[in-house]
Amino acid sequence: MAEQGLEGSQPVDLQKHPSGIVPTLQNIVSTVNLDCKLELKSIALQARNAEFNPKRFAAVIMRIREPKTTALIFASGKMVCTGAKSEEQSRLAARKYARIIQKLGFPAKFKDFKIQNIVGSCDVKFPIRLEGLAYSHGAFSSYEPELFPGLIYRMKQPKIVLLIFVSGKIVLTGAKVRDETYTAFENIYPVLTEFRKNQQ
Amino acid sequence: MATFELYRRSTIGMCLTETLDEMVQNGTLSPELAIQVLVQFDKSMTEALETQVKSKVSIKGHLHTYRFCDNVWTFILQDALFKNEDNQENVGRVKIVACDSKLLTQ
Repeated sequence: MAEQGLEGSQPVDLQKHPSGIVPTLQNIVSTVNLDCKLELKSIALQARNAEFNPKRFAAVIMRIREPKTTALIFASGKMVCTGAKSEEQSRLAARKYARIIQKLGFPAKFKDFKIQNIVGSCDVKFPIRLEGLAYSHGAFSSYEPELFPGLIYRMKQPKIVLLIFVSGKIVLTGAKVRDETYTAFENIYPVLTEFRKNQQ
Repeated sequence: MATFELYRRSTIGMCLTETLDEMVQNGTLSPELAIQVLVQFDKSMTEALETQVKSKVSIKGHLHTYRFCDNVWTFILQDALFKNEDNQENVGRVKIVACDSKLLTQ
């Protein structure tokens, strides 16, 4: 995987990441207010790579290739940008969409840009006893293998939701800043080692 | 039954339109009748494609641009490969306009 390659080339700051593992950011969701009313049909007809099906969803869905992202553009002028791999890429993409809207003749601004969610993932490379973890961290854990194969861990500080899988793969979501993702992972790492599954 | 006027832009549709224009110009056909012929052409094309055409074509290429608006998909492909049962052909740039035929029966 790419993240391993990156770790190899750039030494991990063990002060910040004592586990030696840095979660990879997978998706950033951001919002911005273009601060003008938009004619969605005219946008869909003029812009490239746009979908508009008002019967199904009241927004234009637009995509760009660099940064590879998707935007939901609403008639109110509010916009949601998803799919970027970093905060800066998300901001850059949102700016590009705003520029497209401007070029179509709308007086679009770029107001109140905000990162709403950051999703990261990583692999601790050892199997985990989810039942044991769920039992000893009952207040934070929900593990219903018949419903979902992962353990859902709702950390309180920072307020991050982790999906922990038997395979040792971890998904962290709910962060507004990347350090919350990193802190949450460093908090859970000792717990994961405690519930490491002994291989038969 | 409602129909698409999509096929009027095909080679056969353009030829028909030209001929009808000519006939209207020299007075052998009334404009009303010419319109009626075109409407029948729309119906016949839809029906013929539905019932008489069995062959299938696959189109594969780099999707340069897409759009979905007013229930019409538009795709612009680059370096597309058109394939049917017995031959294939490369096309540098192709525009596909597709309508949902289910909308006609509603």
